[in-house]
Amino acid sequence: MSNVMKEYFLDLDRAAKDPARKVAWCTSVGPAEILRAMGFEVFFPENHGAMLGATRVCMETIPVANAHGYSPEICSYLTSDIGAYIKGITPLTKAFGIEEIPRPDVLVYNTNQCKDVMHWFEYYASEFNAPIFGIHPPTNLPEIKQEYIDDVARQFEALIHFLEPIIGHPMNRENLKTTVALSLEATNLWSEVLNMAQVTPSPMTFFDSTIYMGPIVVLRGTEIAVKYYKDLLGELKEKIQEKHSAVPEENKRIYWDGMPVWGRLRDQSNIFKENKACVVASTYCNSWIFSDFDPEDPLPSMAKAYIKIFINRNDQYKEDYIERMVKDFKIDGVIFMAARTCPNNSNASYNLPRKLKDKGIPTIIIDGDLCDLRCYSDEQSTTLIEAFLETI
Amino acid sequence: MAGTEEIYWGVDCGSSEIKVVALDGQGNILLKRKQKTLFPLQDHVRQALAGESGDLSPFQNEGSHDIKEGHKIIATGYGRKYIRFAHDALTEIKAHFIGVQKQCDLKDAYSIIDIGGQDSKVITACNNKVDQFVINRKCAAGTGAYIEELGHRLEVPLKDMTELARGNDKELSLNSFCTVFSGQEVIKTLMNGERIENIIYALYSSVVKRVMEMTAITTDIVIFSGGVLEFHPELVAMFAKKLEENNANITCILSPNAQYCGAIGAAAYGLKPS
Repeated sequence: MSNVMKEYFLDLDRAAKDPARKVAWCTSVGPAEILRAMGFEVFFPENHGAMLGATRVCMETIPVANAHGYSPEICSYLTSDIGAYIKGITPLTKAFGIEEIPRPDVLVYNTNQCKDVMHWFEYYASEFNAPIFGIHPPTNLPEIKQEYIDDVARQFEALIHFLEPIIGHPMNRENLKTTVALSLEATNLWSEVLNMAQVTPSPMTFFDSTIYMGPIVVLRGTEIAVKYYKDLLGELKEKIQEKHSAVPEENKRIYWDGMPVWGRLRDQSNIFKENKACVVASTYCNSWIFSDFDPEDPLPSMAKAYIKIFINRNDQYKEDYIERMVKDFKIDGVIFMAARTCPNNSNASYNLPRKLKDKGIPTIIIDGDLCDLRCYSDEQSTTLIEAFLETI
Repeated sequence: MAGTEEIYWGVDCGSSEIKVVALDGQGNILLKRKQKTLFPLQDHVRQALAGESGDLSPFQNEGSHDIKEGHKIIATGYGRKYIRFAHDALTEIKAHFIGVQKQCDLKDAYSIIDIGGQDSKVITACNNKVDQFVINRKCAAGTGAYIEELGHRLEVPLKDMTELARGNDKELSLNSFCTVFSGQEVIKTLMNGERIENIIYALYSSVVKRVMEMTAITTDIVIFSGGVLEFHPELVAMFAKKLEENNANITCILSPNAQYCGAIGAAAYGLKPS
């Protein structure tokens, strides 16, 4: 795994330094397939934000962004990342010896997850004087109507026209089919990987999955991601055959809704392990399953897949989805992580935990954040998680 | 085990005080002890458990951390994980529930309001188990620390607060959520010539409001536990009044040994048939 991510970042670094190659920045559930099919190397600032969070370097960089006018209440991926840029640091240096993030030739965002990505990318478009394009799909959808798909497919077409002058030639549509086919294969494998946790005892935890998910975020549309997930799937199947339990003596199975608290992955993993509880499934890791991709109908199928994601749906869809997951993964209780700076990816504020509880599914809300540890209390969270585990 | 006395120790290591309770094999309370939470924690917890020379102690001899045969120590509270000589630990949620249930032996659904040094909890129990619980989120308003901090700013000893609050002549309220901003509000109110009695009433009222905002209490029985409520009777009275406004049939009870409910629950947890 570390080699896959290392090679991805080293190649991005080479691309950024090579005038013959182009780098595009893309949001994590943005149209990466279009960019890859057009020959761009793709950098995902959210992945960089997660690295800043996991290394806790963000605690030095968020205040820098705050001092530059970015509120502590907005996306802490954004504040972590912009603060790091202003400070001139990146976790890529310590991890891979890379001096700086790759300079963009173009930035492409999709507001299917939130509008903060727009502010974030606009900052960099201005800093690097680089062209920027936004996909603005309909949001909070109860159902996926054909008109929504048509709308977003048209926006993807407009994006292709916007990008063609940057690469200097028309897009090869066959490349797009190939890229979408590779993305589909990787995403289906990723789905299979996550479903391995349906087995009791589970061979993996949510905390493992937050690491395993790297390639499906940054390398979908490549052979590398496909190979990585084929290998991982094989390893997990072996673990299941050997009855390997990720949490020894697993006796409770938990669903995690919301973002991970990146700076506390190990601590939280230990809390669950000590209590013989396994977090077997999550909204977050499942967000990179795009089974609607169709290589024969690339743009409409991408449009459908990218507007269909959990975060872009209404509360009834979310409630039904979690209920289904509870059943499929034999879940004993659901933890809602209410991220202070990510209301879009926090589902505890509009009565969803209560509704699930009324259906007999135990729920608990813990306050925290994806990156900003000022919003997270270790003691309070430990007590809440342990008390929750005691009651179910 | 025949011939060996069985003693079950519960130690509730809170942010302000360490509370210790010992139960015999029948669940009778043999002793209660408490002392301030100081550091190094192990030494002070040990001291709280051992008591004075000649007292009942779980330790084999003076200075040792080895536990006598037949003695079992169960820890709870924020410091529960740092007590090396404890045999087991449980959260204060479960400990308070067991402590209340053991002493009050309630058959119907009930809620526990527990105000501790740095957190407030509302626990709902039915069918002899915890059904749900909430803890104050994000800040320490509505906790013992809040009362202590504002008492300090007002130079009013905690023991005098209840009497002062009872002397109020108007129902003043504090607006702010935040302990520090509340402090500013209190100072401004004092500068405007407000009576201290009314300010202490407002402070209590603020605690009641914060806790009542945490969750809707739907049970007809409410039990109060924790040291803060034991030592601020007027606060209990104000909670009861507020709860009665919402539910005329409600019964409010201050738990016996309210400050020790967590420690009693921990000890009783050790006693449970395994």
